[in-house]
Amino acid sequence: MSTNKLQEEIGSLFKDITFKVSKNNKIFIIAQKEQILDILSFIKDKGFDHLALISCVDWIKKNQFEIVYILTSYLLEDEKSRIHVILKTRISREKPEIMSALPVFENAEFYEREIHELFGVNFDGNNRLIPLFLEREYKIAPFRKDFDTREYVKNLYGSILPVEDKNK
Amino acid sequence: MIEERELELFYGPQHLGMVGNFSITLKVEGDTIVEAIANPGYLHRGFEKLMEYRNWIQNFPLVCRINVIEPDSMEMVYAMAVEKLAGIEVPERGNYIRTIFLELSRIASHLFGAWAYVNMLGFDTAAQWAMYHRDLILDLFEELTGGRVYHIYIQPGGVRRDFPKGFKDKIVKTLHSIGGCIPDYDATFFNNSLFYKRANGIGKINLETAKKLGAVGQVLRATGMEYDIRKIEPYAAYDKVDFNVPTRKKGDAYSRIWIVRDEMIESVHMIFKLLEQMPKGDVWNRTPNPFKWQIPERDVYVRVESSRGELGVYLVSNGENKPYRVHFRTPSYTHGLVILEKLLKGANISDVGNIMISLYVIAPEIDR
Repeated sequence: MSTNKLQEEIGSLFKDITFKVSKNNKIFIIAQKEQILDILSFIKDKGFDHLALISCVDWIKKNQFEIVYILTSYLLEDEKSRIHVILKTRISREKPEIMSALPVFENAEFYEREIHELFGVNFDGNNRLIPLFLEREYKIAPFRKDFDTREYVKNLYGSILPVEDKNK
Repeated sequence: MIEERELELFYGPQHLGMVGNFSITLKVEGDTIVEAIANPGYLHRGFEKLMEYRNWIQNFPLVCRINVIEPDSMEMVYAMAVEKLAGIEVPERGNYIRTIFLELSRIASHLFGAWAYVNMLGFDTAAQWAMYHRDLILDLFEELTGGRVYHIYIQPGGVRRDFPKGFKDKIVKTLHSIGGCIPDYDATFFNNSLFYKRANGIGKINLETAKKLGAVGQVLRATGMEYDIRKIEPYAAYDKVDFNVPTRKKGDAYSRIWIVRDEMIESVHMIFKLLEQMPKGDVWNRTPNPFKWQIPERDVYVRVESSRGELGVYLVSNGENKPYRVHFRTPSYTHGLVILEKLLKGANISDVGNIMISLYVIAPEIDR
């Protein structure tokens, strides 16, 4: 199936989405957070059945988190196997909440756990949002842009300054 | 009648059957595992966050440390992502050298993985051979790059330097001496009935479940699917060389380890072909001054086939001289967390190490 046909079908089913195809067949879809589950299952039925990654980007200046789903295909057809679908949605930074992708993709659980721990995003429907990597509690989730690693180390381990600061 | 009761058992990180900094909490009833909980995080260094503070070139020493056993595919995927973002081309010879280098590192990584598995089953002799043969490849790396484990050899625009004089012959000689020992490996390990009895039917997974759980690499290929990024979405010089993707049908530990063996042989053949076809020319296209190098606002997902499966990176630039967000999709992440927990349910305690190492999990790649 070509990217044009997918664009037509998605455009007729879902409103308020942006659809962009880059020149090497990478599809970018920007959608509202309420539509995400429907679009994910729609794209899965179209053959993009491999959830490669769920990622999160902190756009602090716009006060938003961007949740990114990257889907590829397990089909070995020549054309389709090279298409990546990159589905993005923005959620508010103050109250970061989104539906879990677990009903559609079983392997979403750990990606969501990681994003919950490192960015503080809540996933509705994922019952196992327990710590994954970290052992301490943090006031600000550590992968957010306003978490300063150098400041944190200074406060935690005392004032052993880095070499460049000593010379001042 | 004695009441059956559940017992909680901590498996790792200090355990003989465990390779790497990783632990599993098991709930057992008798000898059977009722529930397994994977606990990563012993090696979480926060590299993805640290990379946001450093410029595009400075990140290479961090990137290679994410996967200790096979650092080169990490460098490759990051370099490819930067090239895609900035629109840099790689010269023909650079691509060939990258491919040869990646295949050498795949063999080294597989030998290390074979060591872990063979050693776990108690075949010490074959395990020591594998470690020795890996060392021969590390000698090649040392001559080419100056480093044995971490090479920082691949960079945006190509590779750091051309092959030194007489290096081709050295590669051929080393690979011949390793290849000459394959009959010995087969006799002592792969055709050994003890290996068959110990691994046959262990950690079995079928194609449907594997796909549903996001399996890649050997785990998926052992269920009969020819899924290899080198074939599907060729990068470097993989589209210019002919090679087979070894598969098996049964999806158990036995098939997975056989695929590792077959892939090593396939890589050796591929390197010989590539060395013959190698063109002349430059190995590196100049990139801008690293301190002033700003990449326009864009994001990209790039993937390669590492020795363990699909390795990808999601890289975001916001127009500055450093990345805005880096996120690695590593093959061990799904294998070591999702699939491991699933496969351990209902398994026997004595098979935990067998299942985990045959899934080819490597802990630093999960934690990052």
